Amino acid sequence: MQLKNRRPPKTPPLRRQLIAASCALLGATSVRGQDTDNFHGDGGVLDKVLDGLSIDTALAYYHEDGRVQAVEPVVDLNKTFANGQSLDLNATFDALSGASPNGALTSRSAQTFASPSGTGFTGKHTYTVAPGQYPVDPHYQDDRLAVGANWNVPFTRLTSMSFGGKLSVEHDFLSVSANASIAQDFNEKNTTLSFGVSNEYDRLSPIGGAPVPGSDYILFEKTGGKTKDGVAALLGVTQVLARNWIAALNLSVDRFKGYLNDPYKIASVLDAAGDTTGYVYESRPDQRTRKSVYLENRAAWNQFSASLSLRYMQDDWQVRSDTAELRPRWTLSDRNQYIEPTFRWYRQSAAYFYTPWLLNTDTTPEYQASDERLGAFHALTYGLKYAHKLPDQETRPGSELSLRLVYYQQTFDQPVVPASLQGLDLLPPLKAILVQVGWRF
Amino acid sequence: MRHSLLSFLLLLAASVLAAGCSLVGVKPWQRDILARDEMQLNASPLDSAIDDHLYFSKEASSGGRSYAGGGCGCN
Repeated sequence: MQLKNRRPPKTPPLRRQLIAASCALLGATSVRGQDTDNFHGDGGVLDKVLDGLSIDTALAYYHEDGRVQAVEPVVDLNKTFANGQSLDLNATFDALSGASPNGALTSRSAQTFASPSGTGFTGKHTYTVAPGQYPVDPHYQDDRLAVGANWNVPFTRLTSMSFGGKLSVEHDFLSVSANASIAQDFNEKNTTLSFGVSNEYDRLSPIGGAPVPGSDYILFEKTGGKTKDGVAALLGVTQVLARNWIAALNLSVDRFKGYLNDPYKIASVLDAAGDTTGYVYESRPDQRTRKSVYLENRAAWNQFSASLSLRYMQDDWQVRSDTAELRPRWTLSDRNQYIEPTFRWYRQSAAYFYTPWLLNTDTTPEYQASDERLGAFHALTYGLKYAHKLPDQETRPGSELSLRLVYYQQTFDQPVVPASLQGLDLLPPLKAILVQVGWRF
Repeated sequence: MRHSLLSFLLLLAASVLAAGCSLVGVKPWQRDILARDEMQLNASPLDSAIDDHLYFSKEASSGGRSYAGGGCGCN
């Protein structure tokens, strides 16, 4: 069970002012026109709206070395009502730009590609990659707006249900999902069993159309929009193991089917000498089933606490992955500040159809992709978070200002390459930083 | 026969697990540490959401802590 206080806390004056100012900025027109005293006074409309309301905001800046960068503001509003029900509303905006790998292989010759909207290899809808350079589309740009809602309803003292939905919109992508779950407490609320299901529908409208999987790049065989949909189920058990130790175990499975290709990814075709002779669009299977086991432990000793999570995942594309993440936290002596480093280790095996390149002497396989995210690699994350708890927020534990820095690096398993390609950095590491400012009140 | 044996073993495992769970835990008045903010399973939901979005867009795996779908055209 979650151990958060379900009673709506009283709203301290400073927090009330902060939330009122935020609501004014967000255009909370529904409370306009109220009597001023009743609006601001004890027991007034504003107090009723604000009691039990917490707002979590963050602004993240993500930057990859020589590739994509993104700015991501996020806001989450959580309102707990007097009857124990709670409503969570969240919104995320992503503004992405930069250069995105197109899947082709680095070559000793210059390579010219068509932009997604292009229909030829001359003119302004093209880009050229210099010899020895990793092929990326330098004009990548996209915005994403995602909104979500989750409603938690306790039916009895031991049983609760949760219903949620999410909508995500991009220029070339739309995703709608809905989920529902039930949780049952046992054993003096030391054990919680939960089960949930989710359904997702995605519509792809790639710029220039969705390429026919496996088709020759120069033929521009493209069709209209495509769809994919997925279902997921998650079975979880949470167990209090000691006064300072809680653990959670999740088993999950999901199945997606439809157009699972990245419409902007191609694969290089090489001749026997290792020279690039052409490209084909990637062709992934049209369904995928993933299963995962996730174990999380949290423990605390005085001013020190830590969480350790482990995950194993496998799918029928033969991707196997292991993930371990450790987040220790030191609360400083005045109890209003804490430091939380993050260490994450991840590795995955390649999908069975992943290939860094194709050979023109071989028959093109039914399924192939050079998207490095389907290849074998390991990744490391190092992070550090500093948070300062707001002194006037003592009735709302967790109110804080925070700064988080994250460094992420992927290192790819290097393939055995033809002699003519030796010395080229075919799969350069991905290095990224993330800077995040958070304000929870 | 194999299904019967499997069912029996699963039932036995569930029983042992349930019995084991009933032996551990705390009394309601011993939840002071568990009530601390950092002991909640998703203590920093925005950090988790931003991290999960990063990993979803760069890796072949996702989910575990929650559903695996990403609602994003980035992968």
